Amino acid sequence: MARYLAGRIAGLVLILFMVCLFTYLIFFKLSPDPAVMICGKTCTPERILQIRTLLGLDQPFFTQFWDFLSGLFAGRDYGSGANLIHCPAPCLGYSFQTSQSVWEMILDRLPVSATVAVGAAVLWLVIGIGAGLLSAVREGTWWDRTTMGLALGGASIPNYVLALALQYVLVVKLQILPFPSAVAFSDGPLLWLQSYLMPWIVLATGYACLYARLTRANVIDTLAENFMRTARSKGLAPVLTMRRHALRPALTPITTIFGMDFAALLGGALITETVFGLNGVGKMAADSIAKNDQPVIMAVTLLAAFFVVVGNVVVDLVYTGLDPRVRIR
Amino acid sequence: MSELLVVEDLTVTFPTTRGLVDVVKDVSFTVGRDETVGIVGESGSGKSMTSLAIMGLLPRGAVTRGSIRLNGVELLGRTDRQMRAIRGEQASMIFQDPLSSLNPYYTVGLQIEEMYRAHRGGSRKAAGKVVAEALAQVGIPEPDRRAGYYPHQFSGGQRQRIMIAMALVCSPALLIADEPTTALDVTVQAQILRLLAGLQKETGTGMVFVTHDLAVISSIAARVLVMCQGEQVEYGTAEQVFSEPRHEYTRMLLESIPRIDDEVVS
Amino acid sequence: MSEPLLRARDLTKRFTVRGPFGRKEEFTAVDAVSLEVRLGETLAVVGESGSGKSTTARMVAKLMEPTAGTLEFEGRDVTRAKGADLAGFRGNVQVVFQDPFSSLNPRHTVERILTAPLVYQGMEPKGGKRALAKELMVRVGLNPDHSQRYPAQFSGGQAQRIGIARALAVNPKLVICDEAVSALDVSVQAQVIELLRRLQRESGFSYVFIAHDLAVVRQIAHRVAVMSKGRIVEEGPCERVFADPQDPYTRTLLAAIPRINPEWDRRRRAAG
Repeated sequence: MARYLAGRIAGLVLILFMVCLFTYLIFFKLSPDPAVMICGKTCTPERILQIRTLLGLDQPFFTQFWDFLSGLFAGRDYGSGANLIHCPAPCLGYSFQTSQSVWEMILDRLPVSATVAVGAAVLWLVIGIGAGLLSAVREGTWWDRTTMGLALGGASIPNYVLALALQYVLVVKLQILPFPSAVAFSDGPLLWLQSYLMPWIVLATGYACLYARLTRANVIDTLAENFMRTARSKGLAPVLTMRRHALRPALTPITTIFGMDFAALLGGALITETVFGLNGVGKMAADSIAKNDQPVIMAVTLLAAFFVVVGNVVVDLVYTGLDPRVRIR
Repeated sequence: MSELLVVEDLTVTFPTTRGLVDVVKDVSFTVGRDETVGIVGESGSGKSMTSLAIMGLLPRGAVTRGSIRLNGVELLGRTDRQMRAIRGEQASMIFQDPLSSLNPYYTVGLQIEEMYRAHRGGSRKAAGKVVAEALAQVGIPEPDRRAGYYPHQFSGGQRQRIMIAMALVCSPALLIADEPTTALDVTVQAQILRLLAGLQKETGTGMVFVTHDLAVISSIAARVLVMCQGEQVEYGTAEQVFSEPRHEYTRMLLESIPRIDDEVVS
Repeated sequence: MSEPLLRARDLTKRFTVRGPFGRKEEFTAVDAVSLEVRLGETLAVVGESGSGKSTTARMVAKLMEPTAGTLEFEGRDVTRAKGADLAGFRGNVQVVFQDPFSSLNPRHTVERILTAPLVYQGMEPKGGKRALAKELMVRVGLNPDHSQRYPAQFSGGQAQRIGIARALAVNPKLVICDEAVSALDVSVQAQVIELLRRLQRESGFSYVFIAHDLAVVRQIAHRVAVMSKGRIVEEGPCERVFADPQDPYTRTLLAAIPRINPEWDRRRRAAG
């Protein structure tokens, strides 16, 4: 078990390293000179040189990359003497746009993205799995056909269309909800709920539709299993048969998919956050890409990769715990 | 002697795209207490549908006519709730593939225990003792410990033993065995057949043994029912069916099976 | 005696199994199995599940690479044959599988299925594809008018006849039957065994007949190899192995076979 975990973590670190390397390489090769960007309109060649030296941009690629990596773990100093700026570990650099510490930016915005992700996940799990279950049990009825038709439609609506439509109806026309903004829970639970409700609904819709179809298919497959026939031949109550014998086998594979979906969302819901003006990691990513803010792009890419890779390991461990055929051989 | 199971003119009808199809047509037979009756037939003969009809486990949409009486009580036309009290308690069933017939997510102990408690109630601890006894009875070594194992940790033969232990845990009057040895190796099959015969003698359970294998049926059943395409073509004592078959189909079947001891004409 | 058609020497297959948490374990499925098949003879390989008989069949058919050992066909080493050599081997050795439906492409007509092996060999049948397909169908006892039908339109026994006809399309010298009659009903099984015997009498090719059912093997084999736990425990002429088994495992296997009371059988035959 310990060896297995060590192996998985080593693999995880290797993948993150590769992500770092390639992202860094792409920006090193493709993006315009950051020094020119930072320098702005009133710029002299001396100033550009100065910025280059300060950021280490005059160094060869691998030296720069090494500085970036070691900054992540040990912190990093920019400049020297009186101009020295110490960036404590984990150092992701400073935004070219706002000069803020990127790490602090992330710490600032992660709670927003997490709130969006967790709320949406709860919604789509409850609705998606609930609807899928009902459809499976009532396979072929009007309920089943209607739900599955809606699910197919819902899964095909783009996020931003749904977001704009919701905003138009709920905020502009009916004025039930305020225009969404990042409100902390401490600012008042009702306001908090109101401002996050739309992002949750928008994000959860697509997932709920997919999960409903997935749950339905899994439950129907499980109901046709031989062990379900055995359970009925034993004279067990239908509730027990369903809950114990059908649900666990049907839902276990869904945990895998959920883990991956959720991990990806923690890295920021780009479109939803942008449309609703929520200051999460997703919006930060969108803004940084628009303005070619290299340190921020590096950071959000790494963060997303980190969540996906860690999510993958967690999912494997959880699955191993849930399925005795994998746990014990 | 009063009969344990009386099946009279049983007909099972399924709606299909080509209209109603009778998968079982006017089948009648009886099973005495501690007697084994074999139902034999090829694929599509309706033998499995007959056994599922007795348990009330036919797929949705199936319509049954005729009469099935267990201990004098009519089973056809009962509600699912009433049938649940009978399944496992008075009549239980084992199936062809023991691996897929057991739920891979739960220990075998739990799967036996839940059945016992569904009918007899009682604490988990008390049921645990019954489970260990049931496993010991079918020859599972270290039953207390093995009860905590999952189905995939046992061999094919052991899994079928576990299915048998489960089926018999409430001491039912009738056991329906649907191709219980078909998926097993021949040496394991011999062990399971011996176990079933032994347990039957010990507990006095009536048994319906469904199979496609005439040689297996001849070694275990006192009476034999031969089915072909839903119809009952022959019914009599094993000796009579095997030594003086009356129906052309039975004769053809008996001619077809390869025999291990015969001279081979090449 | 003549040179064997096929000779396997010390064929071994080891698999690496991944245990929980990535632990690796080695497992020997087939352990140094040696076989010889002569032209026109049927060698049966029998064993229970896990005996390694199917893995052996797959290695002999070159559907799987052995971990160790060699395979010779007509005196030539084909163990690592590739490209044209492998194509030549495939033109001489064909396989009939257990489940006829999953081994026949459901979207192809019988004609296309039956002529596909020739197309792969780059040969054009003399009288045209249709004529060849019809001829093959007649040989295996199918109605040649059904050559444009799809596999699903046939019964299990008929589908297995299609599988056999496909194997015959290239005029092979060796046909490997991997549990070819195991999934069939007894009445159909008897007919297919009879068909296999007739085809061998007509064309003189060899069979490697993989089966778990000893009674079936008895009907068709000249020689029998009994496998257990990856090894051949006994090998010899069919009559001898059945009448006078030497290995204790073979004896257990034979004793376990359910038999119809011979007295009942005698009386039934006497009555006609």
